Amino acid sequence: MAQKNKAYRSIRLREFKRAYSFLLPAMILLAIFVIYPIIGTIIISFEGESSLTLDNYIAVLTEKSPSKALILTDNIGKTPPWGALVHNIVWIAIHVPVTTFLGLILAYALVHVYGRSIVKSLVFLSMVIPMVVGGLIIRFIFDAQVGVIPRLFSLIGLEGLSRTWTAYPQTALFSLIIGSIWLWLGFSLTIHSAAVDSIPKSFIEAARIDGASELQIFRHIVAPSVWPATLTVMVMTLLWDLKIFDIVYAATQGGPGGSSTVLAYVMWLYFARALDYGKAAATAVILTILTLIAASYMIRRSLRGG
Amino acid sequence: MGVSAESRTSFIAIVIAVIALIAVVGFYSSTSSRISSLEDKISGIEDKISSIESKIGELPKQPQVTTVTETKVETEVKTEVQTQTVERTVEKTETVVRERVKLTVIGPWAGDEAKYFQAVLDEYMRRNPNIEIKYVTMRAEDVATALPLQFEAGTSPADIVITPWAWWIVEMAKKGYIEDVTNLVNKDEYVSGTVENVMWNNRIWGAPFTMWLKPGFWYKKSFFAAHGLSEPKTMDDFMALLDKIKSIEGIKNPIVTGDGVGWPISDVTEHFIINIGGPDLQLKLINGEAKFTDPEVRNVFENYLVPMIKEGYFSEPIEWTQAVTLWWNEEYALYFMGTWITGMVDDPNDLSFFPLPGAKGVVGGADYIFVPKAAPNKEEAIKLFKFLATEGQAIHVSQPAGKIPTWLKVPTDQLWGPMQVVFNKVKELNLQILPDLDDSVGGDWQTLFWDQLKLLWVNPDQLDQVLQTLTQEFPQK
Repeated sequence: MAQKNKAYRSIRLREFKRAYSFLLPAMILLAIFVIYPIIGTIIISFEGESSLTLDNYIAVLTEKSPSKALILTDNIGKTPPWGALVHNIVWIAIHVPVTTFLGLILAYALVHVYGRSIVKSLVFLSMVIPMVVGGLIIRFIFDAQVGVIPRLFSLIGLEGLSRTWTAYPQTALFSLIIGSIWLWLGFSLTIHSAAVDSIPKSFIEAARIDGASELQIFRHIVAPSVWPATLTVMVMTLLWDLKIFDIVYAATQGGPGGSSTVLAYVMWLYFARALDYGKAAATAVILTILTLIAASYMIRRSLRGG
Repeated sequence: MGVSAESRTSFIAIVIAVIALIAVVGFYSSTSSRISSLEDKISGIEDKISSIESKIGELPKQPQVTTVTETKVETEVKTEVQTQTVERTVEKTETVVRERVKLTVIGPWAGDEAKYFQAVLDEYMRRNPNIEIKYVTMRAEDVATALPLQFEAGTSPADIVITPWAWWIVEMAKKGYIEDVTNLVNKDEYVSGTVENVMWNNRIWGAPFTMWLKPGFWYKKSFFAAHGLSEPKTMDDFMALLDKIKSIEGIKNPIVTGDGVGWPISDVTEHFIINIGGPDLQLKLINGEAKFTDPEVRNVFENYLVPMIKEGYFSEPIEWTQAVTLWWNEEYALYFMGTWITGMVDDPNDLSFFPLPGAKGVVGGADYIFVPKAAPNKEEAIKLFKFLATEGQAIHVSQPAGKIPTWLKVPTDQLWGPMQVVFNKVKELNLQILPDLDDSVGGDWQTLFWDQLKLLWVNPDQLDQVLQTLTQEFPQK
């Protein structure tokens, strides 16, 4: 028995050595370029005048300036600004379901469309545009002088929406969210298309023979079959929304009046404008924790081999 | 008894790891040896240079060379009796000392503006054939984001950096990232107040380059002539002019509001603060001695700007370069902008401006040059710095860049034609040049100022909230 255990331990040790000898180069790189900066950021976030402190976190969480507040408590109105964190939540609340659902619908609708790869490529085009360029495009799409959206609303006589959306606190955040749906739809469509294509045709044909309508087929066969893909899209979109920065920076700079700030933009303000690295690091840590919570599902799934 | 597959794989993996390690160590040691060899070579060259320098030092002792000046040996030969031997010695000296050096300059200009600055660099390269300068465009925001990390790591991507944010240069100086240039910059030779912006601890950390003015409302002379309009002499005239413009067919609003990041709105606001509240009010606001909620500041907003916004005299904020085109196409009649607009229109001779009637001052701001402590070629960088801070300005202002010099030794007749007209008008009106409010305060308050004004322009009823926010968030000294 003891000999058997010894042999087992020896095999385990060999496997351990083999695994780590392969992992070592990657782990060294990760340690230098990922782990060390993370630890450094965490330390900076706790650094005070002379000792480690929570001051940076308290200052960031209780900030009242409309351009940097995470949750605005004074002068709250029905329209933004509400604080960067709230804006991120609103973004997620609108962007995740709309992008996921639109991607799924489009993926299924395109199955029977001739030349669907062209349509898919066109939708996917928005994914290859650099986000800063995407931000500039959004600014011009919603511009009263040259933009499509205000022109459309002008044609139907909605004067309130026929002005430059990014210039008004009532519409700035929503123009960015709508723009981000366009920018991210390609991802949702691509993942869902692959999932829809993998559904055995026999399932759908059998349902049709049994007299199921297209809606029933979509509800009871397509949607449940692609659920793992849908979950992936939802989690990835949520992560993207939490980290969103480029399009805010390029389109509105978080304005007007802080009505379109987001967490990552607040972090940048502390870092590049206030030169307050402690608060920037604290905001980065808060952002990372939120992202990790959202990512934990994906990590758990990966660990399970899903 | 064969070796198991696992052991083989383990062995292979270990061998690969060892090879990789050896490769890394080998690469490191070969690089180190190359670096050492280069260092030896450099040290050899330095020895040669010092020996040549010492020879040059000895030259004046020889009777033939006493008339050759030390710095301009090749051009300013003042004697008729020179032996060929001395000339050869000098030529040889020049060849060795003038090693080819590549400098990098980071500046905020792109497009045509970069072209006008390139003319300055080209002239420097012409005068110093051994110098090659690469210009890299980086906006002030990007400079402030990217460079502090590099400075902290003891490196610098450029030998010279130019940015309009004097406050940021001072912050970098406090961290010890910037070369002290106190001995290179004579404060008295510059427009008053410009050098002070880059002073800290009684030392000078940069030099002002050329400056812009934000002198008033620009208009097309042909448009004014076609509609029988003239420059206003009183505030009542000004309001009557705006009403008259508003009634012209095709005009959307009398004044176009530039937007983008928000600074054009802050410029027009400051013009009202200076000329309604007085130049002192601007200075007090900069120094934190006056608050935005004070009655005299409130008066500027409540009785002038807000009624004008509500009356539709200003357009909604439009991206500022797009606004230039719309204004030039006569969809708007007036545009409050800096002097760089002279280089952005098709016909600068059709351009004129007027400040608010009874104006006492205008905002002027400079771009600032500094040498990072970690500049790769510091010695040459300092020479270029001196050139840019002085003679280089004369070349820049002769270009259609819409700038005037901060170095007072540049004769005004060297200014580009349309800028001479602007400069003379500012002088005629006896307008005091004042520092830019948000550029002087800087930091994230600057962004907040722009952002809150953007809000005010579309929601003028939120005046109280805007003034309160600007007061509360003003940096405490």
